[in-house]
Amino acid sequence: MVALVDPTTLIDILLIGLSGTLICLAVHFIPVGGAPAAMAQATGIGTGTVELAAGSGLVGLITSSYMYAHEPASSMVLIMAAGAMGSAIMLASTMLAGGLIYAYGVAVPFASAQVKRDPITRQRQDTYISKGTQGQGIPTICFVSGVVGAALGGAGGGLIYFVLMGYYTPLIAATSAAAVAGVFTMGVFYVNSVIPSYGVGGTIEGVHDPKFRRVVPKDVVTSVIVSMLCGVVAILIAGGMTP
Amino acid sequence: MSDIKEISPTNLMLFGIIGGLIGIYISPYFPTAGALGAICAVIWGAEAVRRVAKYGLGTGVPSIGQIALGMGVIAAMFGLAIVKPLPIAGPIVALITASVIGFVIGWFAQHVIKMKIPVMIRCMTEIAAAGALIIIGYSAAVGGNYDFVRNLIPRVFDTGVMLAVFWVGAMAMLHPFNACLGPDEKQKRLLYLAGSTGAITMVIMGVAALMTLGVSGVITLALGIILWVIFYKKFWDEVYSDAASVVGTGLIPKTEA
Amino acid sequence: MVLDLTMSMAILALMGALATIAGCIEDLESDVGSQSNPNSQVQLAPQMNFLHRIYNKAISGEPISNGLSAVTGGVVTTVLLNARFYPLMAIVIGALIAAVIYGIFATTSYAGRVASQARFKQPLYMDIMRYTTPSIIGHNFIVCFCLVAIAYIQYVILGYPFTIPFLALIWGISVGAIGSSVGDVHYGGEREFQNREFGCGLNTALSGRIVRKAESGLRTSLDNVWFCAKFGGPATGIGLGLTVFFSSWPTTIWGYTWTAMLVGVIILAVMTIMNRLVEIQVKNAYGPYKEDKEEKGAVAVAHTH
Repeated sequence: MVALVDPTTLIDILLIGLSGTLICLAVHFIPVGGAPAAMAQATGIGTGTVELAAGSGLVGLITSSYMYAHEPASSMVLIMAAGAMGSAIMLASTMLAGGLIYAYGVAVPFASAQVKRDPITRQRQDTYISKGTQGQGIPTICFVSGVVGAALGGAGGGLIYFVLMGYYTPLIAATSAAAVAGVFTMGVFYVNSVIPSYGVGGTIEGVHDPKFRRVVPKDVVTSVIVSMLCGVVAILIAGGMTP
Repeated sequence: MSDIKEISPTNLMLFGIIGGLIGIYISPYFPTAGALGAICAVIWGAEAVRRVAKYGLGTGVPSIGQIALGMGVIAAMFGLAIVKPLPIAGPIVALITASVIGFVIGWFAQHVIKMKIPVMIRCMTEIAAAGALIIIGYSAAVGGNYDFVRNLIPRVFDTGVMLAVFWVGAMAMLHPFNACLGPDEKQKRLLYLAGSTGAITMVIMGVAALMTLGVSGVITLALGIILWVIFYKKFWDEVYSDAASVVGTGLIPKTEA
Repeated sequence: MVLDLTMSMAILALMGALATIAGCIEDLESDVGSQSNPNSQVQLAPQMNFLHRIYNKAISGEPISNGLSAVTGGVVTTVLLNARFYPLMAIVIGALIAAVIYGIFATTSYAGRVASQARFKQPLYMDIMRYTTPSIIGHNFIVCFCLVAIAYIQYVILGYPFTIPFLALIWGISVGAIGSSVGDVHYGGEREFQNREFGCGLNTALSGRIVRKAESGLRTSLDNVWFCAKFGGPATGIGLGLTVFFSSWPTTIWGYTWTAMLVGVIILAVMTIMNRLVEIQVKNAYGPYKEDKEEKGAVAVAHTH
């Protein structure tokens, strides 16, 4: 049985809590407009928060797990960076290709409805919003916010995987450990991307959206507690594997 | 909608829990029973999804199915792994763990995130518990029994079948409400559809069990196909009686617009 | 398996190509059946007295439904590989079974959604069901084949720690996420409201008032595919192709080092700049909308690019 009060164990539970928080934050950073955005009626990516965060984060999980399998000596930070890179590249490709459709398929200028000027390019936004919509497309601030968010999510996924592999690899075969840790990571991923989606109500423009400041604290509190609960559970599972 | 008699949520909950647990406990002797038990849990879960998703979650119906199986898989692994001296308690521990995680998340959703959905806590608890039973039931049908370290890890996790349990199980639970969404949604049609999606999942598990268990996989596969045909036919009967009209082809009927 | 650099690059290129095809066909498949966010308009139309002959494939969101077909394909392929089938054969049979199951889910969602709209008098057209479902199955077969093939390459040749169903599931979720963020905009923003002026933006008041007449006759979902195949599909393909290629390219060349991470950051910076260039171009091309310009004329003078 693994002792839960051992300092290393406590740090690992905190790390799993931290990774859940990173995934939860990722959902807030990624500009998602939901169904209205798919009709170019709202700023952001035209799909749901959950799947976008999960889709990009899991690509990060693929890259970080590959690195873990082939460079076992690599540090925790490097594995998190690998996850962050994979997931940020997925989201950047999506936003770039999506931007092409907004620009040349639907023909709407990119505009944010939440700020008057883009904080990065200082360009006016409100005059470009067409009648009866809540902005459209993916302006630079949303793009940057999305890339940062996806990187956080990927880093979070890589971190849980790293911590869990540390527990399971000594107990069972490496392939089994990867399977169990992978499935567990996926479970934590979904729990932590659905909770903040309920918090933001399905749509958010990114870090500059006033909603960001309003909902982040309560979503993060929820995520930290739920993820740490998951962390305790994960470590107790390791206890069940000891021969 | 109130004039139509509906099966009460509590009865469906009892059906799901009792049916699910019986199926899981018979599975060491007859693995197919695990999948049958999971179908009971799917029907229960679909009804719970229906009750909570009616309020509009802001992110679409599928998200709740995802979180359900996310919680379910964590709880199922925990419940089955933790009870090493007494394996028979595993499914019940998993069920209780899932309910606790579901309750915690439901409580936070209601009181911290403030979603203002009255049935949130109860439904989140039910959905998580159903998710755990779905995971254990279908895994047992592929793994032969519910022993986590000796059977489920080599047969269900190492082969990757766990991902199918996780994903197709979630789909079986969330698809019925998503596919019947609309003002004239009816419980009976939804429950038949839940039976159909549960049976499709059983068919996939049957194919996977061909690899891990051999003969018993054939039984799961064959029984799954038979059940699917029955439920699918029942679903279509309901569609024919519920739809405004079912036509071979034709122009769009004239309306005021 | 350890490969030399040329071979790894060749494999990476093959995976990129498979991903591009998968992305493109996935988007077209979601247009055949009308799925995901643009489908909210098809769902809403009967309520606005706009009865229609368009399929309503509300299986679930695209990432989930494509994950379903990919993971099913992955499991069946694993079973067949275990029974010593030839890999290509195993992937084809796996994808076929997965596509048929996907087709079953499509029929129940069309029938279920239409039956739940009885009060708006929307009929359930069985000819639409018969013509469109095989097309959905066919498109999904190609998607599933490509995704399971990528998963097979990653697991067997490159030695990823996750199994074929796991990798296929993740790529299925990704292809769905990209398809619903990229290609669907072309279907929802343009094709469903094609009778509006190009570039005017879509007023929320138009919700549900979709186009119901085709170039010839009444529009069905099959009419939407060829339109979206011109732009929405290929753009989605590029999205997934870039993802698969660039998420592995830095580590393939530079190994598992911080240099590779730095290259990743450079790729991200380049993509951000490209997005900015597109933004500048469309803002100049379509300009600020007129009514707003007059309102805030004084401020607009000071505005520079």
